[in-house]
Amino acid sequence: MAQHAAHKNRTLIAAIGDEDTVTGLLLAGIGDVNAQQQANFLVVEAKTTQEQIEDTFLAFTKRPDVAIVLINQHIAESIRGILDEYDAAFPTVLEIPSKDHPYDPEKDSVLKRVQLLFGD
Amino acid sequence: MAAVRDNVFPTRMNLTVTKTRLKGAQTGHSLLKRKSEALTTRFRVILRKIEDAKLKMGKVMQTASFSLAEVAYITGDIGYQVRENAKRATFKVAAKQENVSGVLLPAFEAEVRAGAGQFELTGLGRGGQQVQRARTAYVAAVAMLVELASLQTAFVILDEIIKVTNRRVNAIEYVIIPRIENTIAHINSELDEQDREEFYRLKKIQSKKKERAARAQKEIDEAARRAIADGNLHQAVGGDAPAARDLLAEQADEDVIF
Amino acid sequence: MNEIHFNVDAGYLEGVVRGYRDGLITSPQYLNLTQCETMDDLKLQLATTDYGSLLQNEPSPLSTSTLAARCTDALVAEFQYLQQNAAEPISRFLDYITYGYMIDNVILLITGTLHERDTHDLLEKCHPLGFFDSMPALCVATTVKELYHTVMVDSPLAGYFRECLSAEDLNELNMEIIRNTLYKAYLEDFDAYCRSLGDPTATIMSEILSFEADRRTVNITINSFGTELSKDDRARLYPRLGGMYPEAQTKLARVDDMDQVKAILEQYGEYRSMIVGVNLSMAGGDSGSSALSLEDRFFAKEVQLNKDSFEQQFHYGVFYSWLRLKEQEIRNVVWIAECISQHQKDKIANYTNIY
Repeated sequence: MAQHAAHKNRTLIAAIGDEDTVTGLLLAGIGDVNAQQQANFLVVEAKTTQEQIEDTFLAFTKRPDVAIVLINQHIAESIRGILDEYDAAFPTVLEIPSKDHPYDPEKDSVLKRVQLLFGD
Repeated sequence: MAAVRDNVFPTRMNLTVTKTRLKGAQTGHSLLKRKSEALTTRFRVILRKIEDAKLKMGKVMQTASFSLAEVAYITGDIGYQVRENAKRATFKVAAKQENVSGVLLPAFEAEVRAGAGQFELTGLGRGGQQVQRARTAYVAAVAMLVELASLQTAFVILDEIIKVTNRRVNAIEYVIIPRIENTIAHINSELDEQDREEFYRLKKIQSKKKERAARAQKEIDEAARRAIADGNLHQAVGGDAPAARDLLAEQADEDVIF
Repeated sequence: MNEIHFNVDAGYLEGVVRGYRDGLITSPQYLNLTQCETMDDLKLQLATTDYGSLLQNEPSPLSTSTLAARCTDALVAEFQYLQQNAAEPISRFLDYITYGYMIDNVILLITGTLHERDTHDLLEKCHPLGFFDSMPALCVATTVKELYHTVMVDSPLAGYFRECLSAEDLNELNMEIIRNTLYKAYLEDFDAYCRSLGDPTATIMSEILSFEADRRTVNITINSFGTELSKDDRARLYPRLGGMYPEAQTKLARVDDMDQVKAILEQYGEYRSMIVGVNLSMAGGDSGSSALSLEDRFFAKEVQLNKDSFEQQFHYGVFYSWLRLKEQEIRNVVWIAECISQHQKDKIANYTNIY
């Protein structure tokens, strides 16, 4: 039941995305900045480096209070390696479409696993 | 014998115990198999839901991001204000659990704190309505994403559990059951071997006994002949005794043959 | 204002700005733009307008944000050309126009400082028209109090701050309230300044500014329903000018829902036509309905007023009007671009036509 208690504390939704996506999600009220000034969202702009994205993603997945990590699919593409490796149940990583990049089920790490399982 | 088997002493009792274990393994196998099938059914349902939801998500997100474009048209870029105003989450999730064939699947539930929260005054001068509309659209979108996230978590966990269960089913089917069967065969063959040895031993003893009996007969016959030569004094007694011995010898013979 | 001397100082600039106005996208051009299927098509179509080669060097998957940024750059370049060639009193008039943007920028900086962000990043996000010389100096400030004093000393907005805010307010009040308080002070001041310029600038500008004030009044009223903003605070944010000041404002300060707003607006001839057929209820305003919103009507009205100001000569209103029209044009182009890139062609016609 220790595990049970563990996901009781996971209440936040983290987000990595382009400006519009994050703005929208924040409008919905997912934004949270804790006492250490750590935000649960990252805006990926042209000047955001690959490492920043990777570090943020790993940081989000390690935070004990994050239940869901939302990430724009085109950003997920850039860190696909890490994403494919990530197989923990918590937090759940969800790839979402962005304004300029419609959703492509072919690229989704989870759906790829689905296809692998039923790839008959 | 090359096949793997348990290292047990081949006794009748162990044979019984092992046979019980075989029965247990078979029952376990069929139970696990049924569990795995139940989970797989559930799994497929979830998969279908995920695929539907993912496609639907595309549409919902598009509507939401378009509502943001409407905001941009009226109000201009509000991204920065919104980002800086984010303090405490008003949209949270709560984890609850659902029981599927003895597996606890977590499910997220959206928890929206009432009220427009920290952005209620955004766009006060102009476009406030659009901002609130975009907010509503995004709240709906995020609620949908949360639903999808629980499906996906369930998917990952079920996937893992099904793999474990299938591994167990296969282990029982291809490792444990053959091993127990091998053990039973082994015990049986050992017991047969013991029987054959016993049989051989008995036969040997029998033949030894027969030899000895034959020798004794010979001596008796010899003695009888000598007595006939000696005279008729003991004739009645001598004639009686050999008849009785012959009868015994015959009975012994039948015994050996089974 | 003396028409005889107008052209000595302003003749050239007026000529330039009227030239700019002729460069605005016309309705046939808008129609062409709305026919585009892809962003590349749009780029090609825009090349035939005054934007010309502006977008030629952008890499091909043109994003709407890049488009908006480039268009704004063009606007800023044109406006700065006007500013550079302006002499008193036009330069002062043009400065007044930029104060509105400065308010947004200062608010941005204050918000950033409150959240301890790197203020240098913030400078990039500021609207270029609202840039003032001492703005980088604001970045030195680390606390709100410090910032307040720097703003007071260094920015042209000092007057507005002094009138209505104290250093403590910056910390306590919602940023939006501060923004609207400042904007109210700005509108009032701008109006007073225009009046001091005398006719015909005063007449034309006061009409436009009155409308702007009325629009803000209505918007603030509508948007404060159901929020923490008290009715007294609401009344305090209304600009003290415009057709609704003071009578309708006093009434609007007390209303609680859309129907009451509607009832009040109906008493004013110019707004009555506006609210007819407008979907005023927020709840029913899901993005599926293509009905024009009140904001769209306001935009249309604004465009009309600004177009009218070009009908007269020898006044400064044209500069302000041109800037507003150009802004509307950018909004239109970006809107069309958004519709195209997000495949929402059914709403593509919701832009506000100018010419």
